[in-house]
Formats: sequence, structure tokens, C-alpha cells
Amino acid sequence: MTSSRNRWGFPDLGVGVGLRTSHYPHILERKPDVDFFEVLSENYLDTGGRPMHVLEQVADRYPIVMHGVSMSIGSTDPLDREYLGKLKALADRTRALWVSDHLCWTGVAGRNTHDLLPMPYTEEALRHVASRVRAVSDALERPLMLENASTYAEFTASTMTEQEFFGRLMEDADCGMLLDVNNVYVSAFNHGTDPKAYLDAIDPSRVAQYHLAGHTNKGTHIIDTHNDHVIDPVWELYRRSVARTGDVATLLEWDADIPEFEIVHAEARKALAYRSHVNETVRAAS
Amino acid sequence: MQAVVEQPGTVDEAVASGEASALLDPADVGRVVRASATLTPVERVGVYQGMYLLRMVEALQGDYPAVAHFLGDDAFAELVTRYVRAHPSTSYTLNRLGNRFPDFIRESRGLRRRGFLVDLARLEMAVTQVFDAPETPPLTAEAIAAVREDEWPNAVLEPIAALRALSFAHPVNAYLQSVKDDDHDHPAVTRNGTRVVVWRKRFEVWRLDVEEKPFALLQALLKGQPFGKAVARAAEDLKGVGGEPIYRWLRDWVAEGMFAAIRR
Repeated sequence: MTSSRNRWGFPDLGVGVGLRTSHYPHILERKPDVDFFEVLSENYLDTGGRPMHVLEQVADRYPIVMHGVSMSIGSTDPLDREYLGKLKALADRTRALWVSDHLCWTGVAGRNTHDLLPMPYTEEALRHVASRVRAVSDALERPLMLENASTYAEFTASTMTEQEFFGRLMEDADCGMLLDVNNVYVSAFNHGTDPKAYLDAIDPSRVAQYHLAGHTNKGTHIIDTHNDHVIDPVWELYRRSVARTGDVATLLEWDADIPEFEIVHAEARKALAYRSHVNETVRAAS
Repeated sequence: MQAVVEQPGTVDEAVASGEASALLDPADVGRVVRASATLTPVERVGVYQGMYLLRMVEALQGDYPAVAHFLGDDAFAELVTRYVRAHPSTSYTLNRLGNRFPDFIRESRGLRRRGFLVDLARLEMAVTQVFDAPETPPLTAEAIAAVREDEWPNAVLEPIAALRALSFAHPVNAYLQSVKDDDHDHPAVTRNGTRVVVWRKRFEVWRLDVEEKPFALLQALLKGQPFGKAVARAAEDLKGVGGEPIYRWLRDWVAEGMFAAIRR
């Protein structure tokens, strides 16, 4: 574990995988050599049963980071204080190194679609989200990391690109970025934009974590399904981004058609080769 | 956008629905959402709309696998579609989405074998509740030994949080087990009163069919009836058989970790 170049001094945890129910027995019995685990926050907020029992054992052995899907930071509904309270309690209990969610909204009028709905990238939305990010960071007593979600639609009202919005949001609200390289690829495909330009516009000092995953290409658009291996173009984008950020904690997500743990872990560990290659290239150049 | 996403049917039907069109004329979707090189604005919103109900069905299928099995994929999806229209998720977690599902089934007139499905859904909801309930350490032998003989009549046994005792008009536990066993020779769906205890022991959820008399004693204890009164009533029910069955029931329940403490 080394320090990376992010401004909070969050460590480079190495290469981790998402903690998933089907892998519980393997992880508890075999204690695999994984650098860290990421947990889906909502799966552990309201349970005193086996999931929490397993998580406590995992947290005793491995570094934990928390990743949520229901903060709805872009919504116009009030922030859910009960949710934030439980999130902080879980972070404290598991000694989570950081907490992340998505730049999106999941519902309004008290309802939750449980989807990561796209934001309009406007000045008004920027002010709104920045104030909410500050409120969340205060409630959690730690900086919030926001992930770029895969998007399938864009609003005509947007006056800036997503990467511009992210850049200004991170400055205004002093939050960090969980940079999902697969999502950059997916959204760029869906919107006909350049994923390299997206990555090159991100302030590398704000990137605290990477996500990688597989997806499903429907021809006309790509769906972020997390059900397969990472495709080569996404690995190449990851290589490009790591060259700017240095080694940053990297996590593989595999959430559907989940194979055996060894396959998921091996896919995650491919990231090590890309990180090493980048480091060798940087050393050779200097 | 949400007004479209939450609608059933095709995305064109969703955009034209009363709820969505009250907010945006279907002809104006292109003024709000950009087209891509391959999809129209409506088709792009349709990507989200198409996934919404699939997500809701998947969540409830996870909580109610036997109800889903009994109805079959299409009928279950249709039931869930109507359910989430009436009770959309209002929580940060999908774990609470199905909290009103048994009541909704009860009110769904015209549903085939509705009484059986209500019972089955109640049992499956109890399994979910027990799975997630807070962990309470079970009663120890030391705690039992510490109760003086003269304290037992007024002692109250406190159950663990992860325990439910339910009575049904149908043999739903047998049906649920046949689904879990992937046994397609399901028990007949007949009216036949059953009682089931659902509890968690060492982080595993267990279900047990219980006869009428021990169930009455267990329910009395769970309701907080003093130990002496509950046992006396059970002995009366047994009509002179003696105390041995009662001792055995209590011993087994304690051994299974169903109780957490004795209040004296």
C-alpha cells in the first residue's frame, strides 16, 4: 500500500474486487490474497444477519471501501438523513477508508427508481449538487467520492460536458472522483464522444479510485451490465489514465452472471500488469 | 423522465401515458433529450424505462421465490407491475420494496389461489425479516441455572429478534421447501391449517412446522405471558399426558437458540 497522488492522501490500496454474496464461503475459508474489498453500502445498512457477520470478518482482515447507489446526490428531494446516518455508522464500524456514490439522481417526489439517472449539466445543477456534496461530506465526516455513471441519454439543457461538470464540482465542493473507466467508454459510445478527451480533462489529483467492469454492446448502444470481462479498449483507457494519476486503488466490478471468485480476482489482477507497464514507461522516459 | 421510466408497456406507451404526458407533450421529448447517432430521444429514455420493471421483478423474485414459482414468470411480472404502480419504492434499499406484497396479494381479487398465495407470501416475508433481524445472543445454560425455583412462575422468556411464529390456512412451508429443493412434485394446495416457526441460528434461517399444542405454548411465551401461566395452560391442553412433552418442547426451543433472555 503506497500513497498515490490524490489530494487527500488516500492510499493506493492496490487491486480489489467487490464483495459479493456468492463469494462469501470462498473468502472466509480460503482467505484469498486480495488487496481490498469494496462493499455495496445499501446491502449492509439494515441487516444484522449473515451479511453483516461476514462483512465484519472481512473488515478484520482486509481494507474496506464503501460504494453506494442510493444517495441520489442530484435529486431535488431533500437528502435522506436517516440514510446518511446509517452510512456513517457503517463506515465507522467497518473502518471504511472512503465512501463513494454516483453523480446521478435516483428519483424525486420521495420515490426511488433504483437506477442511476442522468444529470443535466447546467450551472443551476452544479450549484445544487455542490451544496449537497458539502452537506453529505459534513454528515459523513469524510470527503465524498463520486463516480461517473454510465449514461444512455443526454439533456438538451446541458451547457457543459460531463467532464467539465465533474471538474468544477470537485473544485467547488472539494470532493473526489471514483473514475469508472468502463463507464467513460460506455457513455462515450452512447453519446458519440471521445473517451480519451474525457479522461484527459479529469484532474488527476482528484481521482481516489478506479472502477473497471464488463458491459453489453447492443449495437446501437452499450449497457453497463458488469457481467463479463473488461474489453481491451477499456484496458487501454485505463493505461492512459493511470499514466496521469499514478497508481490508484483499482476495483473490478462483476455483478451479474458472477463466476467463481478466482476468475473475478484474476480479471482484477490484470490491472497490475497495466499499472506496472505504465510505471516502467514513466521510468524509461525520465 | 421518472414519469416515463416508471410506466409499464413500451416506451411509446410510457411517453404517452397520462402521468408522463401531463408533464411533457410526447411530441416534445426531443426538446428535452438529445438524439444519438443510433437512437431517437424516446428510444434513449426507453433504455432506462425498459430496465425499471426488470429491476423491480428481480428484487421481488429474490424475496418471494416461491410465489414467483407458483405464478410463473409472466403472471408474477404482471403482479409486480401492478404492485409497484401502487407501491413504488420509497426507500434507499430494495429490501423494503416487498413489505406490502402479502397485503397487496390479499387485495388482488381474481388472482388464482389467492388465499394460498397470501400465506406463502407471509411466510417468505418472515424469512426475509428473520434473515435481516438484529443478532441477539441466545440464552445460555448459566442464565437458566441462575433463575431460582420460586422465580420461574413469573419469569418471562424473551425471544431472539430473529424469530417469527406464524399460522396459516395452507401447508405453505412444505410448498416453499419443494421450491427450494427444486422438486416439481409440489404438495397439493389444500386448505389445511399449519403453523411454522422461522428463526435464525448461527446466521442461518431455519423453518419448522409445529403442531397445534406446542405452537400455542410458544405463542403464549412470545407474547410475554409469565412462564408459570403459559406452562399451566399447556398442561391443561395436554389433558393429563404429563409434563414430559412440555419439558421436551422447551428444551428443544432453548437448544435451537429461540430465546435470548429470562426476565425475572
